[in-house]
Amino acid sequence: MALSTVAWVTMLLAILALPGVASVVLVRSLRTEGRKLTLLREQGNLDSYSPQALRELREWIQTNPNNPYVADARQRYNECVRTLREIDDPYYDWSDEQIEELEVIEE
Amino acid sequence: MTDSEARTAREEWGSRFGFLMAMVGAMVGAGNIWRMPFTTGQNGGGAFLVAYILLLYVIAVPGLMAETMVGRYTNTGVIGSFRQVLQSKRGQGLGLVVLIVNVALMSYYAPIIAWALYYTVHSVLLTFTQPGFQPQAFWEGFISNPALVIGMHTLTMAGLAGVLVFGIRRGIERVVKWMIPLLVIALIAVGIRGVTLPGGMEGLAFVFTPEWGSLTRGSTWVAALSQALFSTGLGWGIALTYGSYLGRYDDVPLGGGLFTAVGNTSIGLLAVFATFPVVFAFGLEPSAGSNLLFISMAEVFPELPGGAAWAIVFFASFFFATFTSGLGITEVGVTTVSEETDLSRTGSVLAVCGVIWLLGLPSAYSSSFLDQMDFMFGTFGLPLATLSIIVLVAWKIGPECARVIDLNRNTGIYVGRWWNPVVKYVIPAVMIFILGYGVVSSIGTENQTLMILGIAFMVVLTVVSTAVMSIIGEASTGSVELASDGGD
Repeated sequence: MALSTVAWVTMLLAILALPGVASVVLVRSLRTEGRKLTLLREQGNLDSYSPQALRELREWIQTNPNNPYVADARQRYNECVRTLREIDDPYYDWSDEQIEELEVIEE
Repeated sequence: MTDSEARTAREEWGSRFGFLMAMVGAMVGAGNIWRMPFTTGQNGGGAFLVAYILLLYVIAVPGLMAETMVGRYTNTGVIGSFRQVLQSKRGQGLGLVVLIVNVALMSYYAPIIAWALYYTVHSVLLTFTQPGFQPQAFWEGFISNPALVIGMHTLTMAGLAGVLVFGIRRGIERVVKWMIPLLVIALIAVGIRGVTLPGGMEGLAFVFTPEWGSLTRGSTWVAALSQALFSTGLGWGIALTYGSYLGRYDDVPLGGGLFTAVGNTSIGLLAVFATFPVVFAFGLEPSAGSNLLFISMAEVFPELPGGAAWAIVFFASFFFATFTSGLGITEVGVTTVSEETDLSRTGSVLAVCGVIWLLGLPSAYSSSFLDQMDFMFGTFGLPLATLSIIVLVAWKIGPECARVIDLNRNTGIYVGRWWNPVVKYVIPAVMIFILGYGVVSSIGTENQTLMILGIAFMVVLTVVSTAVMSIIGEASTGSVELASDGGD
């Protein structure tokens, strides 16, 4: 019995959406980990947030000054800023201008 | 030992590949191999897959991200996570609920691993291709022999303990790094063999031909929801526990969320290719559930060219799927017990495996008891445990706080604000709906008494657990300290 066209399309889409995506994610995850390890070996440290994620972290700290987790958030924010100033090759896509504009938040 | 010293000493995954394989291995289990193919075919084929994949990406992926994150965030097991986040002794009771549900689940899952082990051993002994082999009689002879089933159950728990005693890196990681790739290769091989059989394509037509009308039926969406949530292992405490062994620079959303959910379902899809073409090629009953594996499939191998080898590949892959799940489920208890008591890792492994072995004896002895446990804990215990973990992230820490502080830290993919309403409203609502659906659909059926018992048990479990932990629970430090900067 031959498969109908719609069954073929459904099957191929399922393969694409599941094993296809899983394979891409696996390769990407292993590659990013490899890059992190290389940077860590070379620099001893790594930036933890992307520009967008760090901007959101700063906004959250500013709008939630009384949140019980704000001290932890500030510590992580400042640690990332200091790291970005120390290292030559950031993991995330940071430009020199973006790094220069960053300021630590008073703890 | 100070807290910081204890954190530094905490074990971590040895490699990214090891963590990913452990996560997928823990989530891929018997349900993927025997439930997903049939559920897909039964609920509209391709239409069900559309609903399922949609729910997988919208609910299961964000849910797993949340659960893995809370583990990485707190660097502790289930009770420790609830203690750190809720900052109360009573709140740790919810952690105890997750732990007890997990142990109860494992108590009836262990006998299923034992069945897989028994069939794998016999496939190696070439039993299934012996002249005059009777699959039905073989299965009944096994399942009705208490000494044999309890012996296999004991062997299974000893095997799990034998791996877990070596810890995360030298135990679990070392095993899953070869078991999961072999499982995938084996399923692909059986799948290719299946679709090339005369009539094999009919199985694929049954599964993949979409019956779009089924998308208008509530039962299709409930089945898709259940499969998307529970077969991905959300709320079992496994993602939380495995996540707690991640290092400072590890990513959560890409590996713990996306890869775990999609990788797990991909293996379910491979199981569709591995079983349904064979089922249709040999005219077997596709709705036979566990019987499909242990009776129907065993019947097929003598008729296949090279059947002895195919039997080994098939049953070994099923054993790998169940055994790696057993490792994940049991590790939840081992991690928690070793953190909350003075027991060493070895002592914790022996204690947890011993308790599971003991509680598993009735399920090993009686399949109907196993089914009743599955109904009670699968229908009511798991949603309760999942709800507890998700509420911890979504309603106590807060989704935006969790997202900006930890989820997007060292991430491989940026997670946007869309994540917040999903974990805060959608997943809890779905869990409550599933609990309610389980109650309503049981009314007036033979499961009604069991449903009432199940609900009563979960209420008592929650009350007693919170009461017990308010007496014996460890007091929180009084400060919110969530950074997991232990190691690299």
